[in-house]
Amino acid sequence: MQLNDFFEPYKGDIKEVTVGPEGKAVKLGGEKTLPFHGFEGQLGAPVRFALEVFDVAPEGWPEHLRSFYADVLTNPVAWADKCVKQFGADIISLFLASLDSDNFDAAKIAENVKKIADQVSVPLVVMGIGDKDKDAKALVEISKACKGKNLLLGPLVKENYEEIAKAAMEGGHGIIPQSPLDINLCKELNVKLTKFFPKEKMAIDPLSAAIGYGIDYSFSIMERVKQVAVIHNDEMMKMPIVSNIGKDCWKTKEAKEDKTQGILWEAITALTLILAGANLLIMRHPESLKLVKKLIS
Amino acid sequence: MILIGENIQILSKVVSNALKEKDEKPLQDLAIRQAKAGADYIDLNIGPARKDPDVMKWLAGVIQEAVNKPLSLDTTNPIAMEAGLSVCKIPPLINSASGKQESKEKMLPLAAKYNCDVVVSVLIDAGIPTDSSSRAEAIMETVAYANEIGIPNERIWVDPIMMPISVDQPQVVELFEFMKILQDICPGAKSTLGLSNLSNGAPEHLRGILNRICIVMLERFGCFSAIVDSFDEELVMLAKGQLPEISDLIYKAMDEEIDISSLPKKETDIVKTVNVLMGKSLYSHSWLET
Repeated sequence: MQLNDFFEPYKGDIKEVTVGPEGKAVKLGGEKTLPFHGFEGQLGAPVRFALEVFDVAPEGWPEHLRSFYADVLTNPVAWADKCVKQFGADIISLFLASLDSDNFDAAKIAENVKKIADQVSVPLVVMGIGDKDKDAKALVEISKACKGKNLLLGPLVKENYEEIAKAAMEGGHGIIPQSPLDINLCKELNVKLTKFFPKEKMAIDPLSAAIGYGIDYSFSIMERVKQVAVIHNDEMMKMPIVSNIGKDCWKTKEAKEDKTQGILWEAITALTLILAGANLLIMRHPESLKLVKKLIS
Repeated sequence: MILIGENIQILSKVVSNALKEKDEKPLQDLAIRQAKAGADYIDLNIGPARKDPDVMKWLAGVIQEAVNKPLSLDTTNPIAMEAGLSVCKIPPLINSASGKQESKEKMLPLAAKYNCDVVVSVLIDAGIPTDSSSRAEAIMETVAYANEIGIPNERIWVDPIMMPISVDQPQVVELFEFMKILQDICPGAKSTLGLSNLSNGAPEHLRGILNRICIVMLERFGCFSAIVDSFDEELVMLAKGQLPEISDLIYKAMDEEIDISSLPKKETDIVKTVNVLMGKSLYSHSWLET
Protein backbone atom coordinates (compact mmCIF):
# COMPACT_ATOMS: atom_id res chain seq x y z
CA MET A 1 0.00 0.00 0.00
CA GLN A 2 1.28 3.40 -0.94
CA LEU A 3 0.55 6.87 0.32
CA ASN A 4 -1.13 7.64 -3.02
CA ASP A 5 -3.81 5.05 -2.36
CA PHE A 6 -5.29 7.36 0.24
CA PHE A 7 -5.71 10.29 -2.08
CA GLU A 8 -8.73 10.95 -4.17
CA PRO A 9 -7.73 12.77 -7.33
CA TYR A 10 -9.16 16.28 -7.71
CA LYS A 11 -11.78 16.78 -10.37
CA GLY A 12 -10.65 20.22 -11.43
CA ASP A 13 -7.46 22.02 -12.35
CA ILE A 14 -6.05 25.43 -13.17
CA LYS A 15 -5.71 26.32 -16.84
CA GLU A 16 -2.27 26.82 -18.25
CA VAL A 17 -1.93 30.28 -19.71
CA THR A 18 0.96 31.27 -21.96
CA VAL A 19 2.23 34.84 -21.98
CA GLY A 20 4.59 36.29 -24.56
CA PRO A 21 5.35 35.36 -28.18
CA GLU A 22 7.08 32.20 -29.27
CA GLY A 23 10.70 32.20 -28.31
CA LYS A 24 10.19 34.08 -25.08
CA ALA A 25 6.89 32.65 -23.86
CA VAL A 26 6.31 31.91 -20.18
CA LYS A 27 3.60 29.64 -18.78
CA LEU A 28 1.38 30.43 -15.80
CA GLY A 29 -0.67 27.98 -13.73
CA GLY A 30 -1.50 24.51 -15.02
CA GLU A 31 -1.63 22.82 -11.62
CA LYS A 32 -3.97 19.91 -10.99
CA THR A 33 -3.93 20.33 -7.25
CA LEU A 34 -4.19 23.00 -4.56
CA PRO A 35 -1.27 25.42 -4.07
CA PHE A 36 1.86 23.55 -2.98
CA HIS A 37 -0.06 20.28 -2.64
CA GLY A 38 2.39 18.49 -4.90
CA PHE A 39 1.91 15.35 -2.82
CA GLU A 40 -1.71 15.16 -4.00
CA GLY A 41 -1.46 16.01 -7.64
CA GLN A 42 0.66 17.50 -10.34
CA LEU A 43 1.96 21.02 -9.72
CA GLY A 44 1.89 23.48 -12.58
CA ALA A 45 4.37 26.10 -13.67
CA PRO A 46 6.44 27.61 -10.86
CA VAL A 47 5.18 30.86 -9.37
CA ARG A 48 6.24 33.65 -11.75
CA PHE A 49 7.55 37.05 -10.76
CA ALA A 50 7.16 40.27 -12.67
CA LEU A 51 8.84 43.54 -11.77
CA GLU A 52 7.16 46.78 -12.57
CA VAL A 53 8.43 49.29 -15.10
CA PHE A 54 6.73 52.67 -15.59
CA ASP A 55 6.34 54.14 -19.05
CA VAL A 56 7.09 57.59 -17.60
CA ALA A 57 9.28 58.17 -14.55
CA PRO A 58 7.32 57.53 -11.33
CA GLU A 59 6.80 60.17 -8.67
CA GLY A 60 6.64 59.83 -4.92
CA TRP A 61 8.74 56.69 -4.58
CA PRO A 62 10.80 56.53 -1.36
CA GLU A 63 14.53 56.87 -1.92
CA HIS A 64 15.21 53.32 -0.69
CA LEU A 65 13.14 52.04 -3.61
CA ARG A 66 13.95 54.68 -6.21
CA SER A 67 17.72 54.36 -5.80
CA PHE A 68 17.68 50.85 -7.28
CA TYR A 69 16.37 52.20 -10.53
CA ALA A 70 17.84 55.73 -10.46
CA ASP A 71 19.87 55.21 -13.64
CA VAL A 72 16.96 53.87 -15.72
CA LEU A 73 13.81 55.61 -14.47
CA THR A 74 13.33 57.60 -17.65
CA ASN A 75 14.18 54.76 -20.00
CA PRO A 76 11.65 51.91 -19.83
CA VAL A 77 13.65 49.62 -22.12
CA ALA A 78 16.80 49.97 -20.03
CA TRP A 79 14.71 49.66 -16.88
CA ALA A 80 13.13 46.43 -18.08
CA ASP A 81 16.48 45.12 -19.15
CA LYS A 82 17.89 45.77 -15.69
CA CYS A 83 14.93 43.99 -14.06
CA VAL A 84 15.48 40.92 -16.21
CA LYS A 85 19.26 40.73 -16.28
CA GLN A 86 20.19 42.00 -12.84
CA PHE A 87 17.12 41.27 -10.74
CA GLY A 88 15.83 38.06 -12.31
CA ALA A 89 12.29 39.06 -13.31
CA ASP A 90 10.45 36.39 -15.35
CA ILE A 91 8.08 38.94 -16.80
CA ILE A 92 7.93 42.74 -17.03
CA SER A 93 4.78 44.52 -15.95
CA LEU A 94 4.57 47.82 -17.74
CA PHE A 95 2.51 50.36 -15.83
CA LEU A 96 0.97 53.02 -18.06
CA ALA A 97 1.68 55.92 -15.75
CA SER A 98 1.43 58.26 -18.74
CA LEU A 99 -2.36 57.81 -18.61
CA ASP A 100 -2.42 59.99 -15.52
CA SER A 101 -2.08 63.02 -17.76
CA ASP A 102 -5.30 64.52 -19.09
CA ASN A 103 -4.11 64.84 -22.65
CA PHE A 104 -2.47 61.52 -23.24
CA ASP A 105 -2.05 60.24 -26.76
CA ALA A 106 -3.17 56.61 -26.94
CA ALA A 107 -1.50 56.00 -30.29
CA LYS A 108 1.79 57.31 -29.01
CA ILE A 109 1.55 55.21 -25.86
CA ALA A 110 0.83 52.14 -27.96
CA GLU A 111 3.80 52.88 -30.19
CA ASN A 112 6.00 53.09 -27.13
CA VAL A 113 4.65 49.80 -25.72
CA LYS A 114 5.41 48.12 -29.00
CA LYS A 115 8.99 49.37 -28.90
CA ILE A 116 9.41 48.05 -25.37
CA ALA A 117 7.80 44.71 -26.20
CA ASP A 118 10.15 44.33 -29.16
CA GLN A 119 13.29 45.04 -27.21
CA VAL A 120 12.64 43.28 -23.92
CA SER A 121 13.65 39.63 -23.77
CA VAL A 122 10.76 38.47 -21.56
CA PRO A 123 6.94 38.63 -21.92
CA LEU A 124 5.09 41.81 -21.10
CA VAL A 125 2.13 42.50 -18.87
CA VAL A 126 0.59 45.90 -19.59
CA MET A 127 -1.40 47.50 -16.80
CA GLY A 128 -3.62 50.55 -17.01
CA ILE A 129 -4.05 52.93 -14.11
CA GLY A 130 -7.50 51.74 -13.04
CA ASP A 131 -9.45 54.46 -14.85
CA LYS A 132 -12.03 52.52 -16.86
CA ASP A 133 -12.21 54.93 -19.80
CA LYS A 134 -8.54 55.80 -20.12
CA ASP A 135 -7.50 52.18 -19.69
CA ALA A 136 -9.92 51.02 -22.33
CA LYS A 137 -8.76 53.64 -24.80
CA ALA A 138 -5.09 52.84 -24.32
CA LEU A 139 -5.39 49.05 -24.09
CA VAL A 140 -7.47 48.85 -27.28
CA GLU A 141 -4.83 50.89 -29.11
CA ILE A 142 -2.04 48.75 -27.65
CA SER A 143 -3.83 45.54 -28.68
CA LYS A 144 -3.76 46.69 -32.28
CA ALA A 145 -0.22 48.04 -32.31
CA CYS A 146 1.24 44.96 -30.65
CA LYS A 147 -0.63 42.33 -32.64
CA GLY A 148 0.77 38.84 -32.12
CA LYS A 149 2.99 39.73 -29.17
CA ASN A 150 0.72 37.88 -26.77
CA LEU A 151 0.74 40.55 -24.10
CA LEU A 152 -1.27 40.18 -20.92
CA LEU A 153 -3.51 43.25 -20.66
CA GLY A 154 -5.28 44.54 -17.59
CA PRO A 155 -7.14 45.42 -15.57
CA LEU A 156 -10.51 44.66 -17.20
CA VAL A 157 -13.44 45.63 -15.00
CA LYS A 158 -17.17 45.20 -15.43
CA GLU A 159 -17.48 48.63 -17.05
CA ASN A 160 -14.90 48.14 -19.78
CA TYR A 161 -14.31 44.42 -20.26
CA GLU A 162 -16.16 44.06 -23.56
CA GLU A 163 -14.23 46.69 -25.42
CA ILE A 164 -10.81 45.61 -24.20
CA ALA A 165 -11.43 41.87 -24.49
CA LYS A 166 -12.61 42.19 -28.08
CA ALA A 167 -9.53 44.16 -29.05
CA ALA A 168 -7.31 41.73 -27.14
CA MET A 169 -8.84 38.82 -28.98
CA GLU A 170 -8.21 40.40 -32.36
CA GLY A 171 -4.65 41.19 -31.39
CA GLY A 172 -4.05 37.72 -29.96
CA HIS A 173 -3.42 38.89 -26.39
CA GLY A 174 -4.34 37.60 -22.95
CA ILE A 175 -6.31 39.57 -20.39
CA ILE A 176 -6.52 40.18 -16.65
CA PRO A 177 -10.13 40.61 -15.46
CA GLN A 178 -10.22 42.31 -12.09
CA SER A 179 -12.99 42.10 -9.48
CA PRO A 180 -13.37 44.10 -6.27
CA LEU A 181 -12.50 41.54 -3.55
CA ASP A 182 -15.70 39.59 -4.13
CA ILE A 183 -15.65 36.00 -5.32
CA ASN A 184 -19.20 36.13 -6.69
CA LEU A 185 -18.43 39.19 -8.80
CA CYS A 186 -15.19 37.54 -9.87
CA LYS A 187 -17.18 34.64 -11.25
CA GLU A 188 -19.75 36.95 -12.77
CA LEU A 189 -17.11 38.75 -14.83
CA ASN A 190 -15.57 35.44 -15.89
CA VAL A 191 -18.95 34.12 -17.00
CA LYS A 192 -19.55 37.19 -19.12
CA LEU A 193 -16.06 37.14 -20.62
CA THR A 194 -15.96 33.45 -21.43
CA LYS A 195 -19.04 33.83 -23.58
CA PHE A 196 -16.75 35.23 -26.24
CA PHE A 197 -13.20 35.11 -24.90
CA PRO A 198 -11.07 31.95 -24.56
CA LYS A 199 -10.52 30.82 -20.97
CA GLU A 200 -6.97 29.80 -21.80
CA LYS A 201 -6.02 33.43 -22.33
CA MET A 202 -7.25 34.77 -19.01
CA ALA A 203 -5.49 35.29 -15.69
CA ILE A 204 -7.68 36.76 -12.98
CA ASP A 205 -6.98 39.45 -10.42
CA PRO A 206 -9.40 39.08 -7.48
CA LEU A 207 -7.63 42.14 -6.05
CA SER A 208 -4.72 41.98 -3.66
CA ALA A 209 -4.23 43.97 -0.53
CA ALA A 210 -1.02 44.52 1.42
CA ILE A 211 -0.30 43.25 4.90
CA GLY A 212 -2.19 45.33 7.40
CA TYR A 213 -4.50 46.67 4.72
CA GLY A 214 -6.91 43.79 4.22
CA ILE A 215 -4.67 40.96 3.08
CA ASP A 216 -6.86 38.54 5.02
CA TYR A 217 -9.72 39.26 2.61
CA SER A 218 -7.49 38.72 -0.40
CA PHE A 219 -6.14 35.53 1.08
CA SER A 220 -9.48 33.93 1.76
CA ILE A 221 -10.92 34.88 -1.61
CA MET A 222 -7.92 33.52 -3.48
CA GLU A 223 -7.96 30.39 -1.37
CA ARG A 224 -11.64 29.89 -2.21
CA VAL A 225 -11.06 30.51 -5.91
CA LYS A 226 -8.58 27.62 -5.96
CA GLN A 227 -10.87 25.36 -3.96
CA VAL A 228 -13.85 26.07 -6.18
CA ALA A 229 -11.74 25.41 -9.30
CA VAL A 230 -9.75 22.39 -8.17
CA ILE A 231 -12.08 20.64 -5.71
CA HIS A 232 -15.45 21.58 -7.18
CA ASN A 233 -14.36 21.71 -10.79
CA ASP A 234 -15.96 25.08 -11.53
CA GLU A 235 -15.05 25.87 -15.15
CA MET A 236 -15.47 29.59 -14.58
CA MET A 237 -12.83 29.82 -11.87
CA LYS A 238 -9.92 27.88 -13.37
CA MET A 239 -7.83 30.83 -14.45
CA PRO A 240 -4.41 31.42 -12.89
CA ILE A 241 -4.31 34.26 -10.36
CA VAL A 242 -2.37 37.49 -10.77
CA SER A 243 -1.43 39.43 -7.65
CA ASN A 244 -0.44 42.99 -8.33
CA ILE A 245 1.09 43.91 -4.98
CA GLY A 246 3.83 46.44 -5.72
CA LYS A 247 1.48 49.36 -5.92
CA ASP A 248 -0.39 48.48 -2.74
CA CYS A 249 2.69 47.73 -0.68
CA TRP A 250 4.61 50.84 -1.65
CA LYS A 251 1.84 53.21 -0.81
CA THR A 252 1.75 52.05 2.82
CA LYS A 253 3.48 54.31 5.31
CA GLU A 254 5.25 51.26 6.75
CA ALA A 255 6.99 50.53 3.45
CA LYS A 256 7.77 54.16 2.78
CA GLU A 257 9.32 55.03 6.11
CA ASP A 258 12.01 52.37 6.38
CA LYS A 259 14.06 50.37 3.91
CA THR A 260 14.12 46.99 5.65
CA GLN A 261 10.53 47.30 6.67
CA GLY A 262 9.52 48.17 3.11
CA ILE A 263 11.30 45.19 1.63
CA LEU A 264 9.81 42.87 4.21
CA TRP A 265 6.37 44.38 3.73
CA GLU A 266 6.37 43.56 0.05
CA ALA A 267 8.09 40.19 0.38
CA ILE A 268 5.80 38.89 3.10
CA THR A 269 2.73 40.17 1.30
CA ALA A 270 3.93 38.25 -1.76
CA LEU A 271 4.69 35.11 0.20
CA THR A 272 1.29 35.16 1.89
CA LEU A 273 -0.57 35.45 -1.39
CA ILE A 274 1.60 32.79 -3.00
CA LEU A 275 0.48 30.44 -0.26
CA ALA A 276 -3.12 31.37 -1.07
CA GLY A 277 -2.50 30.43 -4.69
CA ALA A 278 -1.17 33.41 -6.64
CA ASN A 279 0.47 32.26 -9.88
CA LEU A 280 1.98 35.57 -10.97
CA LEU A 281 3.25 38.24 -8.60
CA ILE A 282 3.75 41.78 -9.82
CA MET A 283 6.29 43.42 -7.51
CA ARG A 284 8.32 46.57 -7.29
CA HIS A 285 11.47 46.20 -5.16
CA PRO A 286 14.25 43.91 -6.40
CA GLU A 287 15.30 43.03 -2.86
CA SER A 288 11.76 41.93 -1.97
CA LEU A 289 11.74 39.78 -5.07
CA LYS A 290 15.06 38.23 -4.12
CA LEU A 291 13.87 37.53 -0.60
CA VAL A 292 10.61 35.90 -1.58
CA LYS A 293 12.31 33.76 -4.21
CA LYS A 294 14.72 32.57 -1.55
CA LEU A 295 11.85 31.82 0.83
CA ILE A 296 9.98 29.58 -1.59
CA SER A 297 12.95 27.86 -3.23
CA MET B 1 -46.23 25.58 5.03
CA ILE B 2 -47.65 28.58 6.84
CA LEU B 3 -47.20 31.75 4.79
CA ILE B 4 -46.94 35.21 6.27
CA GLY B 5 -47.66 37.81 3.59
CA GLU B 6 -45.02 40.53 3.54
CA ASN B 7 -46.69 43.00 1.22
CA ILE B 8 -47.82 45.55 3.80
CA GLN B 9 -44.45 46.99 4.64
CA ILE B 10 -43.17 50.47 5.28
CA LEU B 11 -40.58 50.46 2.49
CA SER B 12 -43.38 50.35 -0.06
CA LYS B 13 -44.40 53.82 -1.18
CA VAL B 14 -48.09 52.97 -1.33
CA VAL B 15 -47.95 51.68 2.23
CA SER B 16 -45.93 54.52 3.71
CA ASN B 17 -48.19 57.13 2.11
CA ALA B 18 -51.34 55.38 3.24
CA LEU B 19 -49.98 55.15 6.78
CA LYS B 20 -49.10 58.82 6.78
CA GLU B 21 -52.51 59.86 5.46
CA LYS B 22 -54.34 57.26 7.55
CA ASP B 23 -55.90 56.12 4.29
CA GLU B 24 -57.25 52.64 5.02
CA LYS B 25 -58.42 51.67 1.55
CA PRO B 26 -55.10 50.73 -0.15
CA LEU B 27 -53.97 48.90 2.97
CA GLN B 28 -57.17 46.90 3.25
CA ASP B 29 -56.93 46.11 -0.45
CA LEU B 30 -53.45 44.75 0.02
CA ALA B 31 -54.63 42.61 2.91
CA ILE B 32 -57.63 41.25 1.01
CA ARG B 33 -55.55 40.45 -2.05
CA GLN B 34 -52.96 38.66 0.07
CA ALA B 35 -55.57 36.61 1.87
CA LYS B 36 -57.05 35.63 -1.49
CA ALA B 37 -53.61 34.72 -2.82
CA GLY B 38 -53.11 32.27 0.03
CA ALA B 39 -51.39 34.14 2.87
CA ASP B 40 -52.18 32.62 6.26
CA TYR B 41 -51.00 35.63 8.25
CA ILE B 42 -50.87 39.26 7.21
CA ASP B 43 -47.62 40.93 8.23
CA LEU B 44 -47.88 44.57 9.25
CA ASN B 45 -44.40 46.03 8.99
CA ILE B 46 -44.41 49.63 10.20
CA GLY B 47 -40.70 49.96 10.85
CA PRO B 48 -39.56 51.38 14.20
CA ALA B 49 -42.49 53.90 14.27
CA ARG B 50 -40.70 56.15 16.73
CA LYS B 51 -42.83 59.22 16.11
CA ASP B 52 -46.19 57.53 16.13
CA PRO B 53 -46.28 54.16 17.88
CA ASP B 54 -50.09 54.24 17.89
CA VAL B 55 -50.09 53.75 14.14
CA MET B 56 -49.94 49.99 14.80
CA LYS B 57 -53.18 50.17 16.74
CA TRP B 58 -54.91 51.95 13.88
CA LEU B 59 -53.43 49.65 11.24
CA ALA B 60 -54.26 46.40 13.08
CA GLY B 61 -57.79 47.76 13.55
CA VAL B 62 -58.44 48.53 9.89
CA ILE B 63 -56.84 45.33 8.60
CA GLN B 64 -58.83 43.02 10.84
CA GLU B 65 -61.98 44.78 9.67
CA ALA B 66 -61.09 43.73 6.13
CA VAL B 67 -59.79 40.16 6.53
CA ASN B 68 -60.40 37.31 8.90
CA LYS B 69 -56.74 36.32 9.20
CA PRO B 70 -54.33 36.51 12.11
CA LEU B 71 -51.90 39.40 11.94
CA SER B 72 -48.16 39.42 12.30
CA LEU B 73 -47.25 42.65 14.05
CA ASP B 74 -43.89 43.60 12.66
CA THR B 75 -41.96 46.32 14.50
CA THR B 76 -38.92 46.57 16.73
CA ASN B 77 -40.69 49.14 18.87
CA PRO B 78 -42.27 47.51 21.96
CA ILE B 79 -44.62 50.47 22.53
CA ALA B 80 -46.00 50.16 19.00
CA MET B 81 -46.16 46.39 19.46
CA GLU B 82 -48.24 46.68 22.60
CA ALA B 83 -50.51 49.25 20.95
CA GLY B 84 -51.21 46.70 18.23
CA LEU B 85 -51.58 43.76 20.61
CA SER B 86 -54.23 45.62 22.62
CA VAL B 87 -56.71 45.62 19.72
CA CYS B 88 -56.19 42.27 17.96
CA LYS B 89 -59.24 40.02 17.99
CA ILE B 90 -57.44 36.90 16.74
CA PRO B 91 -54.23 36.21 18.71
CA PRO B 92 -51.50 37.76 16.53
CA LEU B 93 -47.88 36.91 16.04
CA ILE B 94 -45.27 39.19 17.59
CA ASN B 95 -42.66 39.80 14.88
CA SER B 96 -40.16 39.93 16.33
CA ALA B 97 -38.14 39.54 19.48
CA SER B 98 -34.48 38.54 19.63
CA GLY B 99 -31.72 37.68 22.04
CA LYS B 100 -30.71 41.32 22.35
CA GLN B 101 -30.91 42.49 25.93
CA GLU B 102 -33.40 45.21 25.15
CA SER B 103 -35.67 42.86 23.27
CA LYS B 104 -35.53 40.30 26.09
CA GLU B 105 -36.54 42.95 28.57
CA LYS B 106 -39.24 44.73 26.60
CA MET B 107 -40.50 42.62 23.72
CA LEU B 108 -40.52 39.03 24.96
CA PRO B 109 -42.60 39.82 28.08
CA LEU B 110 -45.36 41.04 25.75
CA ALA B 111 -45.75 37.51 24.40
CA ALA B 112 -46.24 36.25 27.95
CA LYS B 113 -48.59 39.08 28.86
CA TYR B 114 -50.80 38.72 25.78
CA ASN B 115 -50.44 34.97 25.59
CA CYS B 116 -49.55 34.96 21.90
CA ASP B 117 -46.96 33.45 19.58
CA VAL B 118 -43.70 35.26 19.07
CA VAL B 119 -40.97 35.21 16.44
CA VAL B 120 -37.59 35.00 18.14
CA SER B 121 -34.60 35.62 15.91
CA VAL B 122 -31.07 34.34 16.46
CA LEU B 123 -29.83 37.92 16.67
CA ILE B 124 -27.93 38.71 19.89
CA ASP B 125 -26.10 41.75 21.19
CA ALA B 126 -22.93 40.57 19.46
CA GLY B 127 -24.72 40.56 16.07
CA ILE B 128 -26.01 37.90 13.70
CA PRO B 129 -24.31 34.53 14.31
CA THR B 130 -22.29 33.37 11.33
CA ASP B 131 -22.62 29.59 11.34
CA SER B 132 -25.11 26.93 12.34
CA SER B 133 -23.57 26.14 15.72
CA SER B 134 -23.36 29.76 16.84
CA ARG B 135 -26.96 30.18 15.69
CA ALA B 136 -27.84 27.19 17.87
CA GLU B 137 -25.95 28.61 20.82
CA ALA B 138 -27.66 31.99 20.49
CA ILE B 139 -31.18 30.64 20.14
CA MET B 140 -30.87 28.14 22.99
CA GLU B 141 -30.02 30.93 25.36
CA THR B 142 -32.86 33.17 24.23
CA VAL B 143 -35.37 30.34 24.22
CA ALA B 144 -34.33 29.30 27.74
CA TYR B 145 -34.96 32.87 28.85
CA ALA B 146 -38.36 32.90 27.13
CA ASN B 147 -39.30 29.61 28.84
CA GLU B 148 -38.38 31.11 32.18
CA ILE B 149 -40.77 34.00 31.75
CA GLY B 150 -43.58 31.67 30.79
CA ILE B 151 -43.40 31.26 27.00
CA PRO B 152 -43.33 27.58 25.98
CA ASN B 153 -41.38 26.36 22.93
CA GLU B 154 -44.64 25.74 21.06
CA ARG B 155 -45.35 29.46 20.97
CA ILE B 156 -41.89 30.40 19.72
CA TRP B 157 -41.22 30.81 16.01
CA VAL B 158 -37.47 30.71 15.63
CA ASP B 159 -36.08 32.99 12.91
CA PRO B 160 -32.58 31.89 11.81
CA ILE B 161 -32.22 35.10 9.70
CA MET B 162 -31.87 34.58 5.98
CA MET B 163 -28.94 36.45 4.40
CA PRO B 164 -28.68 37.49 0.74
CA ILE B 165 -27.01 34.75 -1.28
CA SER B 166 -25.22 37.35 -3.40
CA VAL B 167 -23.48 38.68 -0.31
CA ASP B 168 -22.64 35.53 1.61
CA GLN B 169 -23.51 32.24 -0.06
CA PRO B 170 -22.06 29.98 2.68
CA GLN B 171 -24.56 31.55 5.11
CA VAL B 172 -27.44 30.01 3.19
CA VAL B 173 -25.94 26.57 3.66
CA GLU B 174 -25.39 27.31 7.35
CA LEU B 175 -29.04 28.27 7.68
CA PHE B 176 -30.13 24.94 6.19
CA GLU B 177 -27.86 23.11 8.61
CA PHE B 178 -29.45 25.03 11.46
CA MET B 179 -32.96 24.16 10.27
CA LYS B 180 -32.04 20.49 10.34
CA ILE B 181 -31.03 20.57 14.00
CA LEU B 182 -33.66 22.99 15.28
CA GLN B 183 -36.04 20.31 16.56
CA ASP B 184 -33.22 18.66 18.49
CA ILE B 185 -32.26 21.82 20.31
CA CYS B 186 -35.71 23.41 20.73
CA PRO B 187 -38.23 20.56 20.57
CA GLY B 188 -41.68 21.74 19.58
CA ALA B 189 -40.55 25.18 18.49
CA LYS B 190 -41.86 26.52 15.20
CA SER B 191 -39.77 28.43 12.69
CA THR B 192 -40.06 31.24 10.18
CA LEU B 193 -37.80 33.55 8.18
CA GLY B 194 -37.84 36.47 5.79
CA LEU B 195 -37.47 34.53 2.55
CA SER B 196 -37.17 37.46 0.16
CA ASN B 197 -33.96 38.62 1.78
CA LEU B 198 -32.33 35.59 0.17
CA SER B 199 -32.55 37.18 -3.25
CA ASN B 200 -31.83 40.72 -2.17
CA GLY B 201 -29.12 42.04 -4.50
CA ALA B 202 -29.75 39.37 -7.15
CA PRO B 203 -30.95 40.53 -10.58
CA GLU B 204 -34.59 41.58 -10.22
CA HIS B 205 -35.96 39.14 -12.80
CA LEU B 206 -34.20 36.20 -11.15
CA ARG B 207 -35.27 36.85 -7.57
CA GLY B 208 -38.39 34.73 -7.95
CA ILE B 209 -36.67 31.50 -8.90
CA LEU B 210 -34.28 31.74 -5.95
CA ASN B 211 -37.14 32.34 -3.52
CA ARG B 212 -39.31 29.62 -5.02
CA ILE B 213 -36.73 26.85 -5.05
CA CYS B 214 -35.56 27.81 -1.60
CA ILE B 215 -38.97 27.57 0.02
CA VAL B 216 -39.34 23.97 -1.12
CA MET B 217 -35.90 23.15 0.26
CA LEU B 218 -36.68 24.90 3.53
CA GLU B 219 -39.86 22.97 3.99
CA ARG B 220 -37.97 19.74 3.46
CA PHE B 221 -35.52 20.81 6.16
CA GLY B 222 -38.47 21.20 8.51
CA CYS B 223 -39.13 24.91 8.29
CA PHE B 224 -42.64 25.68 9.57
CA SER B 225 -43.36 28.99 7.90
CA ALA B 226 -41.93 31.84 5.89
CA ILE B 227 -42.56 35.52 5.38
CA VAL B 228 -43.07 35.80 1.64
CA ASP B 229 -44.29 37.84 -1.29
CA SER B 230 -47.95 36.75 -1.37
CA PHE B 231 -48.26 37.78 -4.98
CA ASP B 232 -45.73 35.25 -6.26
CA GLU B 233 -48.34 32.76 -7.39
CA GLU B 234 -45.97 29.91 -8.16
CA LEU B 235 -44.24 30.33 -4.82
CA VAL B 236 -47.52 30.06 -2.95
CA MET B 237 -48.46 26.95 -4.93
CA LEU B 238 -45.08 25.34 -4.23
CA ALA B 239 -45.31 26.16 -0.53
CA LYS B 240 -48.77 24.65 -0.39
CA GLY B 241 -47.60 21.47 -2.10
CA GLN B 242 -49.62 22.06 -5.26
CA LEU B 243 -46.74 21.53 -7.71
CA PRO B 244 -45.48 18.08 -6.68
CA GLU B 245 -43.50 17.50 -9.88
CA ILE B 246 -41.36 20.55 -9.30
CA SER B 247 -40.94 19.72 -5.63
CA ASP B 248 -39.83 16.21 -6.53
CA LEU B 249 -37.24 17.49 -8.97
CA ILE B 250 -35.93 19.85 -6.29
CA TYR B 251 -35.64 16.98 -3.79
CA LYS B 252 -33.87 14.86 -6.36
CA ALA B 253 -31.41 17.64 -7.14
CA MET B 254 -30.77 18.01 -3.42
CA ASP B 255 -29.97 14.31 -3.07
CA GLU B 256 -27.96 13.48 -6.15
CA GLU B 257 -26.03 14.86 -9.11
CA ILE B 258 -28.42 15.31 -12.00
CA ASP B 259 -27.19 15.28 -15.56
CA ILE B 260 -28.72 18.46 -16.95
CA SER B 261 -27.56 18.02 -20.53
CA SER B 262 -30.82 16.42 -21.62
CA LEU B 263 -33.22 18.49 -19.50
CA PRO B 264 -35.45 21.28 -20.83
CA LYS B 265 -34.63 24.86 -19.82
CA LYS B 266 -37.04 25.15 -16.90
CA GLU B 267 -35.78 21.94 -15.27
CA THR B 268 -32.16 22.88 -15.94
CA ASP B 269 -32.71 26.20 -14.21
CA ILE B 270 -34.21 24.44 -11.20
CA VAL B 271 -31.26 22.07 -10.86
CA LYS B 272 -28.75 24.91 -11.25
CA THR B 273 -30.55 26.93 -8.61
CA VAL B 274 -30.60 24.01 -6.17
CA ASN B 275 -26.85 23.59 -6.72
CA VAL B 276 -26.22 27.24 -5.96
CA LEU B 277 -28.43 27.19 -2.85
CA MET B 278 -26.77 24.01 -1.56
CA GLY B 279 -23.35 25.62 -2.06
CA LYS B 280 -22.41 22.98 -4.66
CA SER B 281 -21.65 25.67 -7.20
CA LEU B 282 -20.36 29.15 -6.63
CA TYR B 283 -23.01 31.88 -6.90
CA SER B 284 -22.75 34.60 -9.50
CA HIS B 285 -25.55 36.80 -10.82
CA SER B 286 -25.51 34.73 -13.99
CA TRP B 287 -25.72 31.32 -12.32
CA LEU B 288 -28.32 30.17 -14.82
CA GLU B 289 -26.01 30.91 -17.73
CA THR B 290 -23.11 28.64 -16.82
